Amino acid sequence: MGTHLKTAAIDHATARRMEWEDRLLLSVSLIIPLIGLLLFFLYPVFLIAKRSFIQRDGNFGLSNYTEVFGMSHIPTVITNSLVMSSATTLLCVTLGFAIAYAMQRTTIRGQYLIRIALILPLLAPSLVQALGLIFLLGRNGVVSQYTGWNIQIYGFWGLLISNSMYALPQAVMIIQASLRHSDSRYYDAALMMGASRWRQFIDITLPNAKFGLLSAAFVVFTVTITDFGNAAVIGGNYRVLATEIYSQVVGQMNFNMGAVIGIMLLLPTLVAVYIEKVSSQRQFGGSSESAIPVTREFVPLRDIPLAAVVHSVGLIIFMIVLTVVYASFMRLWPYRMEFTLANYNITLSGGYTPLWTSFIVSFQAAIIGVVALFALVMAQRRLPRRFAKAIYLLAILPVGVPGLVLGLSYVLSFNAPGSMLGMLYGTGLLIALCNFYHFHSQGFLTMVAGIRAVPPALEETVSCMGGGVMNSLRDAILPFMMTTLVAVFFFLFMRSMVTLSAVIFLISPTLSVGAVSVLRLDQAGFTTQAAAFSTCIMVSVLIALGLMKLILFRLSRSRASVAVVS
Amino acid sequence: MHLIIKNLSKSFDHFLALNDINLEVGSNEFVCLLGPSGCGKTTLLRIIAGLMPFDSGTLSLGGRDLAKVQARERGFGIVFQSYSLFPNMTVAENIGYGLKIRKWPQKDAEAKVRELMELIRLPELAHRYPHQLSGGQQQRVAIARALAVDPAVLLLDEPLSALDARVRAEMRLEIRDVQRRLGIPTIMVTHDQEEALTMADRIVCMNQGVIEQIGTPLELYTRPQTRFVADFVGTSNLLDPDWIRQTLPALSPGIPEDELQFQLSLRPEDLNVVKDDAGTGIVKAITFLGNISRILIDWQGRELIAESHRFPSLAEGDAVTLQVAPEAGSWVRI
Ligand SMILES: Nc1ncnc2c1ncn2[C@@H]1O[C@H](COP(=O)(O)OP(=O)(O)O)[C@@H](O)[C@H]1O
Ligand SMILES: [Mg+2]
Repeated sequence: MGTHLKTAAIDHATARRMEWEDRLLLSVSLIIPLIGLLLFFLYPVFLIAKRSFIQRDGNFGLSNYTEVFGMSHIPTVITNSLVMSSATTLLCVTLGFAIAYAMQRTTIRGQYLIRIALILPLLAPSLVQALGLIFLLGRNGVVSQYTGWNIQIYGFWGLLISNSMYALPQAVMIIQASLRHSDSRYYDAALMMGASRWRQFIDITLPNAKFGLLSAAFVVFTVTITDFGNAAVIGGNYRVLATEIYSQVVGQMNFNMGAVIGIMLLLPTLVAVYIEKVSSQRQFGGSSESAIPVTREFVPLRDIPLAAVVHSVGLIIFMIVLTVVYASFMRLWPYRMEFTLANYNITLSGGYTPLWTSFIVSFQAAIIGVVALFALVMAQRRLPRRFAKAIYLLAILPVGVPGLVLGLSYVLSFNAPGSMLGMLYGTGLLIALCNFYHFHSQGFLTMVAGIRAVPPALEETVSCMGGGVMNSLRDAILPFMMTTLVAVFFFLFMRSMVTLSAVIFLISPTLSVGAVSVLRLDQAGFTTQAAAFSTCIMVSVLIALGLMKLILFRLSRSRASVAVVS
Repeated sequence: MHLIIKNLSKSFDHFLALNDINLEVGSNEFVCLLGPSGCGKTTLLRIIAGLMPFDSGTLSLGGRDLAKVQARERGFGIVFQSYSLFPNMTVAENIGYGLKIRKWPQKDAEAKVRELMELIRLPELAHRYPHQLSGGQQQRVAIARALAVDPAVLLLDEPLSALDARVRAEMRLEIRDVQRRLGIPTIMVTHDQEEALTMADRIVCMNQGVIEQIGTPLELYTRPQTRFVADFVGTSNLLDPDWIRQTLPALSPGIPEDELQFQLSLRPEDLNVVKDDAGTGIVKAITFLGNISRILIDWQGRELIAESHRFPSLAEGDAVTLQVAPEAGSWVRI
C-alpha cells in the first residue's frame, strides 16, 4: 500500500467499519418505513377487502355484496353519491379555472383576498362549511328568520355548496400550477400570426391547462365522494355512500356491510387515481425551465365579469366561515344575538380535552411522518431503479384509499384484544398513525420533490472526502431539505388537526379529537358550541400555519437556503 | 504513483458505455479526457473516483488494486462542474471539510486551510458563504477543498464549463500552475478541445466509449490516427485515396497499403492557396476570423477548407490553384 494513500485516505479498517455502519443505517431507514406501510396500510386494507367477503355464516362468498345491493335504498345512495360528486366536480372545476385564471393571468385587484378566502376551508374540519351554511340559510338561519322564507338548505343544494367550498381550494391550486408553467413565447408567436385573444385562449391556454383541469376534476371527485363531515351535517335525507358506511358501522354495528361499502368507495377513487396518473404521464412538454412567464393584462370585457364572479365566490366563502366565528359568540342563534363567551364553555363530550388530544395526535403524526418519509426517500434513492420504483408505487398507493375506508380498516385490524397490534387500539398513537398513512402519499411526493433538489455532486464530494451516510445527511442533504421537511411536517400536522373521516371510527368514549367534537356538538343540537369549537380549531391551525410561514421565511433568509435559490 | 487502467469496461443495462479502456497516468501528469458529450468521460472519471463500479478490467494505483476500495478510502480529490460547495459552510469550512472528517487537530487544519487559500489567492474570503462568491471563486474553493487532503489523484469533471470565457481562460493557467507546483497526478474531463490542447500533458481522446487516441496535444493535432480525432481536434479536410490520386497527385506516394481503411486528414493551414486565372479551383467564400481568414474552395467537385494568415488578396469567385507539401497531412483510420 502506498504511503501517500495512507496519509490522504481513511485507513482500511476504519473504512470497513464505517461502511458497515452506513449499510446498517440505510437498511434501518428502509425497513422501518416499509414495515410501517405493511402494518398500517397494506394489512388493514387487505383485511377490509377480506372482510367484505366473509358471510354471516363465516364462509367466504359474495352474500354481503348481494345483500348490500339488495337493500332497497342502496341504488339511490349510489346514484346520489355519483350525482353529487359529478355536480361538485363540474362546479369546482369551472369556478376553480376562473379563479386560477384570474389569479395567474389578470391584473384583477384584491387577489390577496381570494387567496385568503381559499385558505379558510383548509383550516377547519370539512363540516364547518355546512355549519356556516346552516347558520345562514337553515331552518333557524338568519335568512329564514328575517324574511320568513322557507329555504330547503338541507339536502342536495346545501351539500353541493359545502362540498364545493371544501374542494375548491384544492382545485384552484392544481389548475393554477398548470397555468403557471405556460410560456409567453407561445402567445407572442400566436399574436404575430394574427390570432385573436379568444383563439389564443382556445388554442394555447386551454390545451396547456387541460391536464391541470383533468387532475383537478379527479381530485375534487374523490374528495367529494369520500367526504363525510358535510354530508353528516347538511345532507339531511340526501344520503350518500359516506354517511351510509358510517350508519352501517356505528349505527348498526354491521362491519361486513361497512366493508362492502368501503370497497365500493375504493373503486371510483382507484379508477380516478389511475386515470389521473396515466393522463399526467402524457402531459405534453408545454413548459420548460426557462419559460418566460405570460404577462398579465387588463382586458375590460373579460376582467370585469371575471372579477365579479371571482370576488363573489371569495365573499361567499368568507361569509360562511365568518358566520361560524360570529355565531360562536352569540347567545342563541338567531333569536338572541347577544355577545357572549358562554359557547366556549364546552362541557359536552370531554370539553376541550379532544382539542388537546388533536394537538398531541397531530404532532405525533407529523413527527412520525417526517422521520419515516425522510428515511424512506433517503434509502429509496440509493436502491437500484427497479426497487426504487416499486417503493414509489407502494408509497403513493394510500392516496387511493379514502379516509373513511382507512379508518374502518383500522377498526377491523386493530380492534383485536389480546394481540400485539390490539394494544394500540384506543390509543392516540393509533389515530396518529392512521392520519399519517391517510396523508402518506402527498407527504411522500413532497419529500421526493425535495430530495431531487439535492445536488448529487455534493453527496459524491462527501464520499470522496471520506465521509459516510451521516456526513452526507448532515452536510449535503439536510441543508437542501430543511424547507421540505418543515413543509411536510406542517402539512401532516394541519391535515391531522382537521380530518374527520379517518378518525371517526377510531375514537372512543374516553378518547376523541377536535373534529369529532364539532360533529358531536352539532348532532346534539349545540350548534353555537360546535361553532365555538370549530373556531378554536381554526385558530390553532391558523397559528400553526403562521408558524410554518415564519420558519420558512427564516430558513429562506438563512445562509443555508439562499444558496439553494442562487 | 502510477494510476493504471487495463481493459476496463462498463455497461448500463445493455448499453456499453466504456469499452476496453487502457490508460496510464504518471505521477506528475496532467491528463485530459476529451470527447463529445455522452462518450463516457464522466463515467470513466466516476469509476476512477470509486463512485461507480465497473464490469471488467483492472484499476490500480501504485500497484494497489482499487476494485474493492471504496471512494472514501481512495482519498482522491474531486471537483464537479457546479453545485459542489456546501451551501451552509463558509469558504474556510468548505476547504477544511476533508480535514475535519479525518479529525485533524484544529490548529493544523486551520494552518492548512490558510495555506490553501493563499494558493488559490483568495485569503480574504475565508468567512464568506458560497452564494457570496462568483462562479470562478467557487470553483477555486472547490479545488482547494479537493487539495486539502493531499489527494493521491485529483479528478476534475468539466470544472470550467459553467464559467464565462474570460474566467475560463484565466483559470486554465491557474489550475495548471497549481497542479505543477503540487505535482499531483490529475485527470480532467472536458469536451472543449481548446481547453485540452492548452492544459494537458497528454490528451485521451474518446468517442462512444472507446479511446480513439492518446497523445500529447502536439501529437494529437499534427498526427491524428483516426478520422474521429482528425475531425474532433481542430478542423480537417478528410479526403479519400482515390480522390487524392486524381486531384492532388503530389500526395499520392503516401497512400497506405490497405487504402480502403484510410483517409487523408489535411489541416486548413496545409493548403496554400494561390491566385491563378488558369487554376481549377474557385473561391466560394471567405470568412474573416481576425488573425486568420478561412477560405472555402471548390476543388474538383468538392469543397476544401484552407487558411491564410493575412487577409488574402482574394475575392469570392476567383480562380485559384492549391499547393501542398508532399509530406503534408496524416493518413487516418476511418
Ligand atoms: N447511471 C447511468 N445509467 C444509465 N446510463 C448512463 C448512466 N450514466 C451515464 N449513462 C450513459 O452513458 C453514456 C456516457 O455518459 P457520460 O459518461 O456521462 O458521458 P460524458 O461525460 O462523456 O458526456 C451516456 O450515453 C449516458 O447516457
Ligand atoms: Mg460528463
